[in-house]
Amino acid sequence: MGQSLDVYQSGIKLYRNPDIIPSPLDDPTFDPNLGFKKPRTERVMIATDEEMRSAKIPLANRDYCAHKLIEFKACRKENWPFPVKCQHEKHAYLTCQYEDFIMRMKEYEREKRLRLKAKKGELEI
Amino acid sequence: MSSSQIFKCYNRLSRLPLNNSNSVLVTSVRNHWNKDYKPGPFPKTEAERLAAAKKYDMHPSEYAPYNDDGTGFGDYPKFKAQSAESKDPNYPWDFPEFKRNFNEPLHVQFDLFREDRYDINYRPNPSCKVQFAQYIGVMSLSFLIYWLCDQVKGFLPAVPKQYPGVGKKHYTFD
Repeated sequence: MGQSLDVYQSGIKLYRNPDIIPSPLDDPTFDPNLGFKKPRTERVMIATDEEMRSAKIPLANRDYCAHKLIEFKACRKENWPFPVKCQHEKHAYLTCQYEDFIMRMKEYEREKRLRLKAKKGELEI
Repeated sequence: MSSSQIFKCYNRLSRLPLNNSNSVLVTSVRNHWNKDYKPGPFPKTEAERLAAAKKYDMHPSEYAPYNDDGTGFGDYPKFKAQSAESKDPNYPWDFPEFKRNFNEPLHVQFDLFREDRYDINYRPNPSCKVQFAQYIGVMSLSFLIYWLCDQVKGFLPAVPKQYPGVGKKHYTFD
């Protein structure tokens, strides 16, 4: 996975090997269950559209962690002017975001390795 | 007329209100003007030209008046414009404050070219063309470097953010 110096070279690597290095703007192209023994579990969206619209969650934050954000904002509103009481909710939300990013990084690395395998002809489809 | 009378006269004239007085008189007194400052009429014939050259103590081949186009310079000769700022500061001028010698003829716009005014002989170094070329060069180089770096822009190794939506499926790694 990306070490700190790798980030600076990532653009050069993408420029040199555009067929192997996935662009950060591209979604995964391979079958999601390729190489897994049992089917992967789907990510579940817990907060509904109705809830998010009611809580006025910005469109950029309507991801798989939105329910934790709603809890955090509700907690803040209940405990104002002592939002420090919501440290648990905030930590839960930020952890969810962190795990979401780890998942995206894993997906990227998987895509990269599968592309490399496919180019070498080692991939059995 | 004694000096005190002159002073009295001068003083009285200088305090005249402008709206009901002879404005020419007021101007001449206030600004120390006298008729000798005024150039003669524009020389139309060769004889007049020679006379004007002699009047200004110049050789007829050097003497050239301004065009008679209504600016009122009359027979006053053209001199090469040189501002005081570009004159030699080490030369022992008779009037160092103007960098001017006694009886030295003045350019028509002498009051514009004094040291505290405009320097008509100023030439930028490097010249304007070179400065423009330098500007274009620096800016193009900057944009070239920006463009080159933009081709290999770094990014975090992650797929685009996953948002739930109709027909979209995302998977965990559990």
